[in-house]
Amino acid sequence: MVSAVYFCDGRGKPILSRRYRDDIPLSAIDKFAPLLLQLEEESSAIPPCLNHDGIQYLFIQHNDLYVVALTTSLTTNVAQVFAFLHKLMEVLEEYLKSVEEESVRDNFIIIYELLDEMMDYGIPQITETKMLKQYITQKSFKLMKAVKKSKAAPRPPTEVTNSVSWRAPNLLYKKNEAFLDIVESVNMLMNQQGQVLRSEIIGQVKVKSKLSGMPDLKLGINDKGIFSKYVEGDGDPVATTITEGKKKANIELEDLKFHQCVRLSKFENEKIITFIPPDGAFELMSYRLSMPVRPLIWCDVNVQVHSQSRIEIHCRARAQIKKRSIANSVEILIPVPDDADTPAFKYTHGSMKWLPQKNAILWKIRSFTGGKEYSMSAQMGLPSINGLEKPKVKRPVQIKFQVPYFTTSGIQVRYLKITEPKMLYKSYPWVRYITQSGDDYTIKLNT
Amino acid sequence: MPPLDKRIKKFLKNSIRVAPKISNKGELAELRAGLVSQYPQTRKDAIKKTIQQMTLGKDVSSLFPDVLKNIATNDVEQKKLVYLYVMNYAETHPELCILAVNTFVTDAQDPNPLIRCMSIRTMSMIRVDKILEYVEIPLRRTLQDDNPYVRKTAVICVAKLFQLNKELCIELGVLEDLVSALDDNNPMVVANATASLSEINAMDPTVISLLDLIQSHVSRFLLALNECTEWARITILGALAEYTAQDCVEAQEIIDRVTAHLQHVNPAVVLATIKVIIKNLVQIEPEAKKIVMTKLASALVSIMSTPPEMQYVALRNIRIILEKYPTLLTKEARIFYVKFNDPLYVKLEKIDILVRLVDPTNVKQCYVLMRELKEYAMEFEPEFVSRAIQGLAQLAIKCGEMTFVSKTFEILLDLLESQDALRNDCCIAVCDLLRHAVGNEVLTANACELFSTWPVNEVLLLSDSAKCNYIWLMGQYPNKFGELQDKLSCFIENFAEEEPLTQTSILITVVRLHSKLPGSILQNVLELATNQIQELDVRDMAIIYWRCLSMPNADQLIAELCSSVSPQIENTLDTFTPDVLEKLLTEISSVSSVYFKPQFDGPRNAVHHHNVVRGRHIDELKDLAKNELARKANDDVLLDFDEDEDDLVSPRSSMAAGGPQSHMDDLDNLFDFGVSSSSQNNGNGNDSIDKGVADLNLGKPEQQQSNQQQSQQSQNTINSNTQDLLDLF
Repeated sequence: MVSAVYFCDGRGKPILSRRYRDDIPLSAIDKFAPLLLQLEEESSAIPPCLNHDGIQYLFIQHNDLYVVALTTSLTTNVAQVFAFLHKLMEVLEEYLKSVEEESVRDNFIIIYELLDEMMDYGIPQITETKMLKQYITQKSFKLMKAVKKSKAAPRPPTEVTNSVSWRAPNLLYKKNEAFLDIVESVNMLMNQQGQVLRSEIIGQVKVKSKLSGMPDLKLGINDKGIFSKYVEGDGDPVATTITEGKKKANIELEDLKFHQCVRLSKFENEKIITFIPPDGAFELMSYRLSMPVRPLIWCDVNVQVHSQSRIEIHCRARAQIKKRSIANSVEILIPVPDDADTPAFKYTHGSMKWLPQKNAILWKIRSFTGGKEYSMSAQMGLPSINGLEKPKVKRPVQIKFQVPYFTTSGIQVRYLKITEPKMLYKSYPWVRYITQSGDDYTIKLNT
Repeated sequence: MPPLDKRIKKFLKNSIRVAPKISNKGELAELRAGLVSQYPQTRKDAIKKTIQQMTLGKDVSSLFPDVLKNIATNDVEQKKLVYLYVMNYAETHPELCILAVNTFVTDAQDPNPLIRCMSIRTMSMIRVDKILEYVEIPLRRTLQDDNPYVRKTAVICVAKLFQLNKELCIELGVLEDLVSALDDNNPMVVANATASLSEINAMDPTVISLLDLIQSHVSRFLLALNECTEWARITILGALAEYTAQDCVEAQEIIDRVTAHLQHVNPAVVLATIKVIIKNLVQIEPEAKKIVMTKLASALVSIMSTPPEMQYVALRNIRIILEKYPTLLTKEARIFYVKFNDPLYVKLEKIDILVRLVDPTNVKQCYVLMRELKEYAMEFEPEFVSRAIQGLAQLAIKCGEMTFVSKTFEILLDLLESQDALRNDCCIAVCDLLRHAVGNEVLTANACELFSTWPVNEVLLLSDSAKCNYIWLMGQYPNKFGELQDKLSCFIENFAEEEPLTQTSILITVVRLHSKLPGSILQNVLELATNQIQELDVRDMAIIYWRCLSMPNADQLIAELCSSVSPQIENTLDTFTPDVLEKLLTEISSVSSVYFKPQFDGPRNAVHHHNVVRGRHIDELKDLAKNELARKANDDVLLDFDEDEDDLVSPRSSMAAGGPQSHMDDLDNLFDFGVSSSSQNNGNGNDSIDKGVADLNLGKPEQQQSNQQQSQQSQNTINSNTQDLLDLF
């Protein structure tokens, strides 16, 4: 298991460290930076596991930091180490807002404390932020509202070791509410002719719970796998009646992943999603759908390169969504050659900018109503002295957008039942849908 | 915003604060003054600042006694800070920690479980024998603590103690307590006890019988699995993966019980589950197997939407699993298509998996993949493009269908024409295809035609392997090349500077073609190879050829050698040997699985640093501590005579008591002690270094072997060349 965790700056120099065992020399981390450099010279593919002198350097990058775990044993569970490092960043982000070199330097004490609590002797322990916040209460600089300190000295809540280790009991809200956000990110690769080469939908169901006591939640969605079996098994009369009408609308979700609060064996056997939620916001489940999707925002990009003089770009964008829907903050990033300059734009909607540091031009449209089509043209100068090669634009066009009140897959929440066995209060579930571009919504340009 | 009155209060409190603040300069004198200040706030500030200096890498160990005075406090935060400081120096200055031993023992009985944990955790980390002896009572007590939070910490302390002092750990009998913790009613304690036991087992497999323990607790583990944290689940799943089911019913039951975890959000839990399933998969009924396999496939696919590091681990493991179950992911190819913002190391692995997972009999799928790879080959990252071209050739040879091979061939030739930079990779790929499609006249003619148009002086091949292939082709089809002699002479000119593969290839080609070339060339090459080359393989080969050529029936002999037909290659994907594969399957998600370096049984070469300060009486240790401090504390020691009501701690009291002369004496003594102690330490240090070196030496042959194995695997294509060359004999 892990012998030490180091926070290193962008060049690999250690800023802060926590050693869990003494089977590695103190100087081991000093080898990390030169090791990275040496590898960078050889190849641009640097895997996240490096081996030097029998010591394994397992690292992730986060903002301007390298977070490195050192271990000596080859039997170390590397998946666990990476999962832990990512979790560590997640927890620190909740404490410090943003984890970067400066905030690490400013908040070393709280980081020490957390490292101490989250890992013991290289074995991950408690990583649930909501629980940690109850007894790790050092003020951090960025976190203006420190958790209220109780009069008594902080103690680890007894729940941390219970089977429901993610929720404190005795929570009380005046108004009991649960907010459900269904966020679908669409990844899509198109060619210039508008043909969809591949597409997928990554969905997340996020919950923000403001519920008292120990509520038990039951979620019903129109997934084929989940639903049909549910009808057979449980036979809840209300749910069945709802389904019968819309049975065709059921869809099949792949790669379902659940937050640890979901009773996995219950889901495995009966296909019911039941859980006692942590307090506050968390991601309940995620899924993937690989059904073919029509482009939501479609662009016809035409690039003409007149070598040694100028480059012309024409772009038509169309919102292929329902007339009533609106796509918000649409951004179309079109790559241009790195030696292009003096841009001239013509456009009717939105705003345009040349981003020399990204070698691209950016067209922003704040709100794009369904069915509308806008166009723009841009012209940029190219240096008159040029290399032998024709300038090539090999990067794809990237598009970003958000469409509220709409899911591409058609997933719907059928019901969200909230029952708190002791308090029996009235509760209000809220559901919101949003579709947005994933990190890979691109149009490939012909070269 | 807090309400106004509170803000006013806070403002007033701050403005009338009397406790002096500590500056950020971090001067030892200021910190020390702050640490003994009469104002609690100042003391706390000073501890924080001290720790800050420590983080920055400054040695603040001379403040040890002053920091330690602040440990007796009701303020948990402050206590934590002091513990943090102590823990940090526990490793580098173990002898200083003896000063805190009483506090540790008291704190281990504190009503607050947090403090009980801190004390026991710190205590079991200090490498001083005497302290470890004090550990006994608190450790025993905390192992039986009412609070599971304390118990889960205590069980790990047993492993720590074991690492520091095995004999003591056995003698105290805490191992028995640890074993009984496996039956604890709290799942987290069970998980930590399991982790602790496997650590101990890794350090010394003779002390406990881990496998038996796991075996007798399988049902307990399966029960605990559903009610603990994600990390505990990983530990428990890890233990379950060590267990071999008795029969197919039990195997099926284990699979049924763990399968739900394939849907856990934590990818490490998913991988750990996969490991358990794969372990039991061989035992269950074939029909049941199919269902499990589909679940496995979708679980593996799901890890592809996690952070890149995780994907990398998954991809490397998929590579292993695919070799055992080649059809597992056949339907999931699309998931492994490269995204343009994947990091390069993920992209390269994805291509490898893509080529491996296709079903070679499904030509349609092969075509789809071919088009995908072709797209990759037109990207801009050189290493990615190179891997894609290699992938194209691997795919064609795997598929094996003739029209498919020809189509791939055309793509390669197109790529060759489009960009000069791709020559190296295309040349290797084309030659591989020719070795597969032996006797296909059209392909051969096309390839040779194109290659032979390359101008003599700028063949532009850079990589060793590309040159080797190019020369091989000339030797194979001499009639299809124009200006053969000029081309070869070009290579021969640089013979000595070339790398071994190219040298061998030149050597063989020249011998094969000796009847077509002027004799001087042959003579020249043989002489160069025997006189100027250090590489043994090349030199030996040259000598053998020379012998052959000087035999009476040389012509016939050479003709015989050259006329042999190299076998058709069927596969350019490297594979593991069966025992390596089986071993790797049991090591899924470990570091060794990522490197493809299985850990074969036998002593693990983990280096243990056993430089525990041993065999010293407590008084002596205290002296040691004093010396240490005295050496550290510079002249600023004289600052505060008046404080120090208490203890043994500070050397100052003794100094203050004696006159100036005794000062000197004291110092002398101190230094004597100091020297002896440091030499003692050094001795220990050397020992451990020697041991380390010995371990390394033992480790080396194994490592080299596996290195060789790997390089063999990765250069399979190249090897197949040399194989061809060898076949000539």
